[in-house]
Amino acid sequence: MTTTADTAPEISTGAHRDAAPAIELTGIDVRFSMPSERIVSFKEYVLKRISGKLEHRELWALRAMDLVVQPGEFVGVVGRNGAGKSTLLKVISRVLTPTSGRVVVRGQVAPLLELGAGFHFDLTGRENVYLNASLFGYSSRVVQRHLADVIAFSELEEFIDLPIRNYSSGMLARLGFAVATMFRPDILLIDELLAVGDVGFQEKCLERIHDFRSRGTAILLVSHQVGAIAGHCHRTLWIERGVLKAEGSTDEVLQRYAEGFAEP
Amino acid sequence: MSTPSSPAPNQPARRQQVYDSSRRPHPAIEELQELLRFWHLVVQWSRRNIKLRYKRSILGVLWTLLEPLMLMTILTVVFSTVFRFPNQAFPFPLYILPGLLLYDFFNRSTMQIVEETVASLGLASRIYVPRSAFALATVITYLVNWAIALIPLIAIMLVLRQPLSWSLLTVPLGMFLAAVFALGVGLLVATLGVFFHDVKLTYQVLLTGWFYATPIIYPLEIVPENIQKALLLNPLLHLLALVRQPVILARVAPLENWLAALGFSLAALAAGWWVFTTRRNVFDYHS
Repeated sequence: MTTTADTAPEISTGAHRDAAPAIELTGIDVRFSMPSERIVSFKEYVLKRISGKLEHRELWALRAMDLVVQPGEFVGVVGRNGAGKSTLLKVISRVLTPTSGRVVVRGQVAPLLELGAGFHFDLTGRENVYLNASLFGYSSRVVQRHLADVIAFSELEEFIDLPIRNYSSGMLARLGFAVATMFRPDILLIDELLAVGDVGFQEKCLERIHDFRSRGTAILLVSHQVGAIAGHCHRTLWIERGVLKAEGSTDEVLQRYAEGFAEP
Repeated sequence: MSTPSSPAPNQPARRQQVYDSSRRPHPAIEELQELLRFWHLVVQWSRRNIKLRYKRSILGVLWTLLEPLMLMTILTVVFSTVFRFPNQAFPFPLYILPGLLLYDFFNRSTMQIVEETVASLGLASRIYVPRSAFALATVITYLVNWAIALIPLIAIMLVLRQPLSWSLLTVPLGMFLAAVFALGVGLLVATLGVFFHDVKLTYQVLLTGWFYATPIIYPLEIVPENIQKALLLNPLLHLLALVRQPVILARVAPLENWLAALGFSLAALAAGWWVFTTRRNVFDYHS
């Protein structure tokens, strides 16, 4: 095994080429099979099943998707609504098992998809840090050791022992971001760069994300904001109807993507 | 202006873990492995439930103590004259209280597992967590509740001069088996409940019937003999014997009750676990 420390010069240009890929997708298909009508009751289901009227509609969210992401890469994903971008993130975060194909993910995944998952409004900020962190699998001992850093990063020192029902949405997002990024993950999945708090705080978040990348975290950013992708990503994927339509340098792909929109 | 911040440390316990979708164990095994890996989540979630339960009501813990007592008083007034016990060597309130606590535990924990499973769907479709963790935390929450309610039970035993025997020490073991049974049933109902609204309503009706099919407020002896035999197939009847006989008869429940309770509980957990974990993909594609 090679250590990533030896490849330090590589970091600035992107991939740690010596290490094994952080994410490897080979021939990933995701097929949803949905009843053509919405069936909400068990009675209805049984009756339809018996009478043979249960029909399914097939929907391919991803088809024959191949992707390799190296540690330290910052990869953007663009595509229209429903193109399969979120499905891609779900397959990588192992929330969704692909219908066929193989996913290999090396290391710990931190999804920056829903900040403050599991937050409860009747509990204090401090209590919610423990809860939220437990969803990422962190023990309360570990959280306790790093609690001061989390609170300092979120800039909520004065409010941390208040029930979070008194927090503004910006404060909630700050706390959520601080917990989700309290440790450097090996893989970071971002669904839209978050507008968390004021400009100063946003910069701090970006700084942290780039610090992770320079230390070897592979990052996947899904966004509708082409500017955000252009500003951060070395490489970009364009997904259309579950199929990889283009992949390459960000400038190139974004230009083709814009042209694709211009076409009737 | 924001304050400068120190860089976040690397993840703790940096054993390189590799997720390979082509090398996954059977879902029933994988879920168990993940549940063990996420045991902190179970602890945190149980603590959260307990904390919230006591934060929300003004009387807090006192309510947990008072609720079964009030129900017991009402039922005692209503039923103690209705049912004739063959040999009433024990006070009626002590006959019904252990059953009320058992039923209350079973009713609430299984219903809550359905609720939690449905509620956690959104969360679990964004962050990877073993879903059974929420079900287990629910059972632990109500088990703690039940344990707290044992305090008024013992107080009443003292007031009514019921002998406290060593056999009472077997009550927690009976409670544990009841928890195993509740987890199994809860996982089963929750799996169906995710897909269909009416499952929860149907189960609720079933639970009411289940209350009367269990000799909680009446003595088993007043039921016709052939129905008595049918009632022996009711797992709650055996679990009830485990937690009630030490209270009213100052003795450990007979071995056949223990074996039946153990068999039913393990069977329910195995069935619930199997259905809940092997339907995992269906959960995913539903949300």
